[in-house]
Amino acid sequence: MSRGDRLRTRLTTIGRRLRRIGRIARWEIGQSTNSYNRRTLAVVAVLVVLVGSVGASAVALGVASPAPNTDIYRVGVAADSPYNAVIEDNAALTARTPSRSALATGEIDLLVGGVRQPTAGPGPRSPTLLVEAADGEKGAAALTAFRSAVQSYNDRAMALEANQTAAYPVIVELQYLPQSTLGPAAPTNAGNLTDGTDGSEGDADEDTDTEPDANDTANGTSGSSDGDTAGSGDSTAGTDDADGDAPPVADGGGGSLLDRALFGGGTSGSPAEIQPPFPFGSLLLAFLFLVPMNFVIQSYGSSVLNERISRRGELLLVAPVERLDIVAGKTLPYAAIAVAVTAVIAAAVGGGLLSVAAVVPIALTFLAATFLGAMFARSFKELTFVTITITVFLTSYVFIPSIFTNVTPIALISPLTLVVMELQGEAVSLGSYLFSTGPFYTSTAVLFLLGTGVYREEDMFSQKPVPLKFLDALDARLSGVRSVGVLTALFLPLVFIAELLAIAVLFVLPIEVSIPLLLVVIAAVEEVAKSIHIFAGFESDRFDRSASTALVLGAASGVGFFVAEKFTVVAQLVGLPDLQLGQAALQPAGIGITPSTTLLLLAGPLVLHTVTAGVSALGARKRLRWYLVSLVAATAIHAAYNLGVVTLYG
Amino acid sequence: MIEVSGLRKTYGDFAAVVGSDFEIERGKIFGVVGPNGAGKTTTLKMLAGLIEPTAGTATVAGFDAGDPEMRHQLGFLPEESPLYEDMTARSYLRFFADLYDVPRDVASDRIESTLDRLDLEYRDRRLGDVSKGMKRKVAIARSLVNDPDVLIYDEPASGLDPLTTNSVLDFTEELREDDKTVVFSAHNLYHVESVCDRVVIMNEGRIIARGSVSEIREEHGDTSYRVFSDTALDGTEPTADGRHRAVVDTMAEVEELQDAAKAAGGSVTDIRTDEPSLESIFLELTGQQMPSPRTAADTAPADEPAADRHELEDSP
Repeated sequence: MSRGDRLRTRLTTIGRRLRRIGRIARWEIGQSTNSYNRRTLAVVAVLVVLVGSVGASAVALGVASPAPNTDIYRVGVAADSPYNAVIEDNAALTARTPSRSALATGEIDLLVGGVRQPTAGPGPRSPTLLVEAADGEKGAAALTAFRSAVQSYNDRAMALEANQTAAYPVIVELQYLPQSTLGPAAPTNAGNLTDGTDGSEGDADEDTDTEPDANDTANGTSGSSDGDTAGSGDSTAGTDDADGDAPPVADGGGGSLLDRALFGGGTSGSPAEIQPPFPFGSLLLAFLFLVPMNFVIQSYGSSVLNERISRRGELLLVAPVERLDIVAGKTLPYAAIAVAVTAVIAAAVGGGLLSVAAVVPIALTFLAATFLGAMFARSFKELTFVTITITVFLTSYVFIPSIFTNVTPIALISPLTLVVMELQGEAVSLGSYLFSTGPFYTSTAVLFLLGTGVYREEDMFSQKPVPLKFLDALDARLSGVRSVGVLTALFLPLVFIAELLAIAVLFVLPIEVSIPLLLVVIAAVEEVAKSIHIFAGFESDRFDRSASTALVLGAASGVGFFVAEKFTVVAQLVGLPDLQLGQAALQPAGIGITPSTTLLLLAGPLVLHTVTAGVSALGARKRLRWYLVSLVAATAIHAAYNLGVVTLYG
Repeated sequence: MIEVSGLRKTYGDFAAVVGSDFEIERGKIFGVVGPNGAGKTTTLKMLAGLIEPTAGTATVAGFDAGDPEMRHQLGFLPEESPLYEDMTARSYLRFFADLYDVPRDVASDRIESTLDRLDLEYRDRRLGDVSKGMKRKVAIARSLVNDPDVLIYDEPASGLDPLTTNSVLDFTEELREDDKTVVFSAHNLYHVESVCDRVVIMNEGRIIARGSVSEIREEHGDTSYRVFSDTALDGTEPTADGRHRAVVDTMAEVEELQDAAKAAGGSVTDIRTDEPSLESIFLELTGQQMPSPRTAADTAPADEPAADRHELEDSP
């Protein structure tokens, strides 16, 4: 057969498969539609209206009335000040008439004064904006918000320049450097932001209406001009934030605890210590995306389970249709509904393609988890338990991190954070998108892979308990030694999600507790991922129970994990390892280590994963109790290794 | 058309089928008989590619069982074949015809002719609203939408009333005339005896007897002879009509009785051969007891729940 014939045959086969998938999808739609009576549809319609009303209210809240996160800080600024544009551009800030007395009486939280030019004597060598904050936490928070707003404004203005290399070889870069005391914001002049030069050369001297002199202030926390300014070369933590993404450093005696905690203060930055400006409105809107998922998965799970309980699925299995095509056909309508609803909600709340692209992987993971759950459940009662578990877990996983959208890169473990960012008008990099959604896409694939493995007569209609079904699903994907390594590698997205979840959960604890605990949890998660399918293979008698076989399987699993683990490098794209918890979670894998130790730490994890997987496999060949004992041993070895690496290089 | 060699299926320590071997010629009806748990359904599902054998091979229409191409040549009717009750018979059959890539016009003609042959009414009524017998006929029609060479029917007449049962059995015989190869299992041995060309009897996963019904009878059955004479002889009993009757197992004993009657001045007036039924052979081979009354599968009303019937079938 010629290459052309082979290609033609392949295309014909693909066309035929797609046609069958489409046929099954149409049939599934008919089945699902018919399975609901008018009363049910009426209830769903009411719920849709309810969700729509909440969405509309949220939108209206954001548009017509003061939202919880708008106009929080009152800033006294002259009408002709270039900083007026900055304030108008930021929802949390509102402009007021500048007045020192208003600042003293608390009518305004921040007073933006003029620009002091450099003098010949000691002091700054570039123009300094004079800003005065009110006493107390709100004043400090207002200053932080103002600083952040200036940076965001500058970034957006820079981004507007169509030709980013127009001034080549002159490279324009904004740097926000700390000053010895709280006060001056970035020296960039808002009226001359894109001139391709250092921001400090702006026409600052046109702002002289008010002259708040920092040295005159009683509290000494604002307006000071004795610190370094741009170009001073101070290499404190703040200098890392050259791209302006991170909140500004608020050093000295003021600034939010969050800033000090996460970006240079050296403390853990747990939620108990921070006062973030929660993006309530955007969060509420983002949550709306999750509500319809619950209806979709209920219907989907019922359809899958119904095929099993009634044994109707048997007739599809005996038809000339691949299992994967059956599952694809059955899933397609629900995935399409989820995407359509997401698009409608996005359009309604002002989201764009990014919101849809961020929510789709969540919807797919919901469906994949439900599919697997429906393949394991023995009854509708069990299915209810499974779907509720999935709903609670996934909703928590995607929603809670997104609360911290404005606070920490950890928030990016949830694709919903991308939605919140888009609703707030923030740009999202491709790396952030991949980091957020990658584990969801790959987990979806793995969950469907496992579910499709047991979509066969022998497993679909048996009444085994869920744990045994789970082992069957794993066993169904095993064939030989290589398959053990491949399956281990495929588990990595799930491992990644579990580890990120552990980071997010342990984030609330003091760093002294959370890091050791995290090391143990991560070790346990990885050891389970490396050995659970080996145990399944032994239990089904797929592998002979000799020690040599166990060691070979353990080695294959360890290598598979090691190779896949290297893909976690994507975490670097979003700066997660910058956090101490992120370092604890990711550095033992060899990320972020200096080149001199890279070789050692490449070999280290490989040996570690191989040895610990071998230990677990040795126990797995001898029934459950021995497997659990060996798993604990492997986890202990792994945790000790992690602790050693963190101690040496952390 | 079907070749099975060393077919084996185990679940852990339990062997559902132990080394089955048989061949089935094209155009024959092949019966698989055995008590509950004998391995009949497992065997049929391995042939249909639904269950992967632990060992051994099965080829159907020249393809390995489980090969997607084989499924185009196969029509399968499981013991329980619940339908999609919101569909009509026509839409249900068209759906499956689409899955088998049967062109629309061909499918329509085939569906109508099959439903005609099965004498199926209410073709556009919801399947949830039709009788059990009609549902079974629709399921049989579904097994034929792709015009397969091989049909595997697991208990095709299970739970049907006698009239529908006869209709289904007659239809099965017609399939032989269409040169279809049919494999079917049944609890009711009368059905097997009346329809099948060849039979295997399974017990505890093993084939314990095979061949045509007459071959099995000859090999495993105890044929006896009732000899009637007009005079009393040793070993005879008087009958109501004034004659004397003896029951012997061999023709040699018959000849001895003839000689004895002649010597006594009488004669043997009648000799009758009693051949064993397949059912009695089956019961003897499997160590079962004769169920009483007749198996529930024959007597259960058409709309009786399947689970109840099974309980009855399991009872001695």
